[in-house]
Amino acid sequence: MAGADQDFYRVLGVPRTASQDDIQRAYRKLARENHPDVNKDPAAEERFKDISEAYDVLSDPQTRRRYDAFGPDFRQVPEDVDPETWRRARAGAGAGAGTRAGAGAGAGPGAGGWSGGFGADVDLEDLLGGLFGGRGGAGSRAGRGWGAVPGADQEAEVELTVEEAYHGTRRTLSLTSPTGTRSIDVTIPAGVTAGQRIRLAGQGGRGSDGAPPGDLYLAVRIAPHRGYRLEGRDLHVELRLSPWEAALGTSVAVGTPAGEVKVNVPAGTSSGRRLRLRGRGLPNPRGRPGDLFAEARIMLPAKLTEPERDLFERLAAVSEFDPRRRR
Amino acid sequence: MSHALIRARRLDLDQFAAAAGLHPELVCRFVALGILDADRDPGGRLWFDPAELAAVARIRRLRAGFALNYAAIGLVTDLLDQIAALQASLRTARGRER
Repeated sequence: MAGADQDFYRVLGVPRTASQDDIQRAYRKLARENHPDVNKDPAAEERFKDISEAYDVLSDPQTRRRYDAFGPDFRQVPEDVDPETWRRARAGAGAGAGTRAGAGAGAGPGAGGWSGGFGADVDLEDLLGGLFGGRGGAGSRAGRGWGAVPGADQEAEVELTVEEAYHGTRRTLSLTSPTGTRSIDVTIPAGVTAGQRIRLAGQGGRGSDGAPPGDLYLAVRIAPHRGYRLEGRDLHVELRLSPWEAALGTSVAVGTPAGEVKVNVPAGTSSGRRLRLRGRGLPNPRGRPGDLFAEARIMLPAKLTEPERDLFERLAAVSEFDPRRRR
Repeated sequence: MSHALIRARRLDLDQFAAAAGLHPELVCRFVALGILDADRDPGGRLWFDPAELAAVARIRRLRAGFALNYAAIGLVTDLLDQIAALQASLRTARGRER
């Protein structure tokens, strides 16, 4: 059980002297932040469970007193034990066996899920009961009568490089949940796009009482890339050209996640012209792949050499081209 | 446990209530409050998409977690759905911007 070694006051972030009002306020605030339907972070589920469990105990003045007196094991202490006697017995005869034997007898009918319970099934109920307050006899919110409730969907983010999105990849995710940290291997198919969600059925929040868990959704984020820009499945690259390449036409090799492709630049290409290579963008598992757009950008040397300057001057003298004239 | 039901394309009231672990009357109340979607056929019978089972689970978790009444749950689920839609479009927009 995850919360056994945690201090319930620390879980709620209140001092041991906190009033019942303070405890309720702290609980309400934390519950709003971490409820599995509000906070999709897989780790929130565990926090919510701990918070609920702490509140279950501290919200009832009587269980709170017992918790203060006997610590986290207070449920295993029979109701009528005097705290002083308990402390002495504990210090003396190496605690454990004696208290366990007494638990079944002392718990009685009012303690519902806890009675006599050290088996795996009770641990499970304890684990899940805390989430929904459905545990019998454990406080004011008990006895609502809800049965099994399926778990909430959760969401985590995964960042991919453009190359990973293109080729598909594998990721090992480690998720924190009430049962501890687990890692799952996820195969990310080729051609996922930014904002797309990958559904991992049954990997979300746990259900109570054996109800099915929710799903985990992985939201895909594509990391910015120096060379490429992605728009859906279309891949945009910058195509740098010298003025004479743009004027006379050429064939340029452009790097893509799948290797280099040749782009034919027609003569008379101006900056901003987009050359499309159909189907050379990201693959699409269900349909047409994206396109590759190479956008021409004419570059000039910051400093011209003497012969370059000479040639440009001659060009300027003979050319009648006016780029600012609208037709 | 209820795989056979989940594979069915739609569930009638009794099937849905059984799968959700609720009394059919409570399910009808959810529909009347507009917090659960259902189709009503010409004969007046209610039919449910199995995906609505997840909506029921959320209603029950919210109710248990916050002691909300059902009208408030309708507001909360609407807001949560709107936030989810906004986050999705934000993610798409962010992906495009880069």
